[in-house]
Amino acid sequence: MDDYHHWIISLKHHLCIRFCEYYIQMYNNYQKYLGIQLREIKEAGLYKNERIIVSPQGAEITLDSGQTVLNFCANNYLGLSASKKLVEAAKHALNTHGYGMSSVRFICGTGDLHKDLEKKIAEFFGTEDTILYAACFDANGGVFEPLLTSEDAIISDSLNHASIIDGVRLCKAQRYRYENADMEDLETQLQLAQEQRFRLIVTDGVFSMDGNVAPLDKIYQLAGKYNAMVMVDESHSAGVVGKTGHGVTELHNLRGKIEIITGTLGKAFGGAIGGFTTGRKEIIEMLRQRSRPYLFSNSIPPMVAAAGIKMLEMMTQSNELQDKLHLNTEYFVEKMLKAGFDIKPTQSAICAVMLYDARLAQELASRLLKEGIYVIGFYYPVVPKGQARIRVQLSAAHEREHLDKAIAAFTKVGRELEVLKKMHPDV
Amino acid sequence: MSYTEKTRDIYQAQLAEIKSAGIFKEERFIHSAQAADIEVEFPAGSDLKKVINMCSNNYLGLSSHPEVIKAAHDGLGNRGYGMSSVRFICGTQDIHRELESKVTEFLGTENTILFPSCMDANAGVFEAILTSEDIMISDRLVHASIIDGMRLCSAQHDTFKHSSMEHLEEKLLLHADKRLKLVITDGVFSMDGDTAKLDEIVNLCEKYGAMLLVDDSHATGFIGKTGRGTHEFCNVFGKIDIITTTFGKALGGASGGCVSGRKEIVDMCRQKARPYLFSNTIAPVIVSGVLKVFDILSSSTERRDKLEKNAAYWRKGLTEAGFILKDGNTPIVPVMLFNAKLSQDFSKDLYNDGIYAIGFFFPVVPNGQARIRTQISAGHDISHLDKALSAFIKVGIKYGILGLTKDQIIEKYGQ
Repeated sequence: MDDYHHWIISLKHHLCIRFCEYYIQMYNNYQKYLGIQLREIKEAGLYKNERIIVSPQGAEITLDSGQTVLNFCANNYLGLSASKKLVEAAKHALNTHGYGMSSVRFICGTGDLHKDLEKKIAEFFGTEDTILYAACFDANGGVFEPLLTSEDAIISDSLNHASIIDGVRLCKAQRYRYENADMEDLETQLQLAQEQRFRLIVTDGVFSMDGNVAPLDKIYQLAGKYNAMVMVDESHSAGVVGKTGHGVTELHNLRGKIEIITGTLGKAFGGAIGGFTTGRKEIIEMLRQRSRPYLFSNSIPPMVAAAGIKMLEMMTQSNELQDKLHLNTEYFVEKMLKAGFDIKPTQSAICAVMLYDARLAQELASRLLKEGIYVIGFYYPVVPKGQARIRVQLSAAHEREHLDKAIAAFTKVGRELEVLKKMHPDV
Repeated sequence: MSYTEKTRDIYQAQLAEIKSAGIFKEERFIHSAQAADIEVEFPAGSDLKKVINMCSNNYLGLSSHPEVIKAAHDGLGNRGYGMSSVRFICGTQDIHRELESKVTEFLGTENTILFPSCMDANAGVFEAILTSEDIMISDRLVHASIIDGMRLCSAQHDTFKHSSMEHLEEKLLLHADKRLKLVITDGVFSMDGDTAKLDEIVNLCEKYGAMLLVDDSHATGFIGKTGRGTHEFCNVFGKIDIITTTFGKALGGASGGCVSGRKEIVDMCRQKARPYLFSNTIAPVIVSGVLKVFDILSSSTERRDKLEKNAAYWRKGLTEAGFILKDGNTPIVPVMLFNAKLSQDFSKDLYNDGIYAIGFFFPVVPNGQARIRTQISAGHDISHLDKALSAFIKVGIKYGILGLTKDQIIEKYGQ
C-alpha cells in the first residue's frame, strides 16, 4: 500500500513536471518570435526607453538618477500640471465626491461635477454641448462611428493624430486624405467626395510634430463651398493658440462656427487625464447614446472633473499664463534662429529643431541631458524618414533664466555637433 | 459650416427613433461619493434623493474608502496633478513603475504595462502583438472593448459559442495551421455574472498550442480565495499568457487599466500599442490611490470575504422571493424580466422606493433577455440588502411576477 501511494505521488510529480514543460513549450515559439522583433527594434535605434521622474511635472524636474533637469518636452503649456490651485481643487473633490465612480456614465457614473465641466467646456469654446471621455484618444476613437455611415465621407489631413486615424479605421465612411494643410488638395478631395451624403473634414488644430496651425479659415470656406462639416482636434492648441488661448477657432475668428471640436485635459489644461468632444447639440446627444468608449468605459474621476472646472475658471479670470507662454515662445524661437538652428515655422508652443538624421537627433538629446536639458529626439516612424528633429515645447512655467540656460546648452552642443548654420559666425 | 437644417433633421430623427424604441439612455446625476448610500438628482432638476446603489462596479467598497482618499491626497502633494505627457516622452514617474510591479505580483504574471483604461488596454493589445498570419478566437460574449481591439488588428478572427468547450476545440482544430493562435475570453461575463471555464480553456490551449488572453475586469480583487481573479478561482494561477484588467471597478473605481503577462508581450506593447504611445497614462493621483488599494487587498481578504457573503445572501433572498436569476457565483446578480419595458418600469418603481438599479435590454443583452442587473458590494451591509430585497419584493408583487416561470412572465408582458 505504501509503495502504491509512493508510486502515485511520484507519478503525479512526474505528470506535473511534464505538464509544466509542455506549457512552457507552448509559449516558447512566440517568445522567440517576439524576442527577434524586439531586438530588431533596438538595432534600428527605435527602442523607446522611459526616463523615470520622481518629482511633480514642471519646468524643473528630478529624475530617478537624482539629476535635476529643465523640462522642455512636456505638453505642460500653461504650467498647470503642478498648479497648487488645481491640486487644491482635486483634494477638495476627493473629500466631497470620493475617489472613483466605479461605473460608466449611463449606469451610475455621472456626477454633478461631470455636468458642470461639460457646460464649462461648451462655454469656453462657444459650442452647444460637450461630452467627456477618459482621454482625447477615446474622444477621437469614438466620434466617427456613431455619426457617419458608409454613405458618408471623411476627408482627413495626412498629418492628423494617431487617435483620429484609429477612429476613422473604426468607421465605415468613405475615406479621403489630403496633404498636410494643402488647400488645393483638400478642394480636389472635396470634389471627389461630392457623391456622398455627408462630408466631414477632419484636421488637427496644431500639428504636434511641426507646430504649424491648420488653415482653418480656408478650410471653413471650402467646407461652405462643398457643403461639408468640419472637425478640429484642439489638443495642442486649446489654452495655447489665439490671443486668449481659446484655440484655433479663436485665431481664425471662427468661434461657434465649427461643428465638432475635440480636445484634451491632458496637456495645457492641467495634464492629468480626460478628453472631450464639444459641438452641435444633436451630435453630442448621439455620441452619448452610441459612442463606444463613452458607453463602455468610466468617465474621468470626480477629482479630475473638479480640477478641470477650476482650470476653466482660471482661464476666464486672467490671461497671464497665455501671455507668458506667447512671450516665452517668441523669445526662444528668435534666439534659436539667431544661434543658427534650423527651426520649422511655428504658430504654437511647439518648436521643431530640425536635424534630419535620427542618430544625430538622439546624440543631441543625450548631450543636452548631460547639460541639464530634458528633450527627446523624434524620428521615423513618428515623423517622416529624413525629418528627424528635437521637438521643444515651451511652457508658461519656464522663466527667462530657464530659456537662457536651454538656449546656451543647445548652442554649445549644436556647435560641438556642427549643426549650426554658418551664416551666424558671431554666435 | 454645412451643419444645415437637413443635417440637424437627420440626427434629430435618429435620436427620436432611439427614444421611441425606449432605449434612450438617460443619465442620473450623483452628488455624493460613490458608496452603498448615494444622493441622486433624477430626473435632471429634481431634488436630491437618498438611495441605495445596487448597480455599481464598486465591488469591494473602495471607491470612497478613507485610506484610498488619503493616499490620493498624498499623491497630489508629492507628485503633483498631471504629467502632461505620454509615457515615453516625460510621462513616467517612479510610482507608475511601482504600480506595474505590484500588479505583476498580485496577478502572478511576469510584467505589466499600464493603460489609461482597460478599454484602451484591450483596444491596443491585439494589434501590437499579432499579424495577419495569426488567428484570434474569442468567446461570443466578450466585452465591447475587446471587439474594438480585434477590429483594429489585422489578424484573422473567429468566435466560439459562449463558454462552449466543444465549439472552442472545433475552432482550434479548424485553425491549427495558423502561426499564432490566441484564445480570448472575459474572466467574468459582465451581463450574466457567469465565470469562464478557465481550467478547461487552459487545457485546450495546451493541447492545441494556443495562447490565452483573459479580461478579468469583473474579477480582479475579489474572485478566487484571495481575490486574485478568475485564474485563481479556476486553479490556473500563473498559467495565463495575457491578463487585461481595470482599476475602474473594484480597485478604487477611478480609472486606468493594464495588460499583464508574458514579459515579451508587455515589452512589445510598450513599443507598439497605440493607446499607450499616443495618450497620457494614469495621473499620479490615481496611481497613488490604486497603490493603496493593493496594500489593502494584500493585507487582508476581509473585504472580498464580506462581498462573497453578501452576494450569497442576496441571491438566496431573491430566489426565495420567487425571482428568476441567472446562475452564477459572482457579485453580478441579474434579475430576469425578459421584457424591455418591464425592466425599465421595474427600475423606476425601485427608484421611487429608494433603490438604484438599472434595467438592461437589447442591444446590451440579447432580445427578450431584459433584466435588472444588480451588483453587490462589500460596502453593503445586511441592512442595505434587506431594504433592497423588500423593495424588490414590493415591486415584484405589483407586477405579479413572483414565482412565475420565464414563459409565464413572457406570456404576461411579451418578449
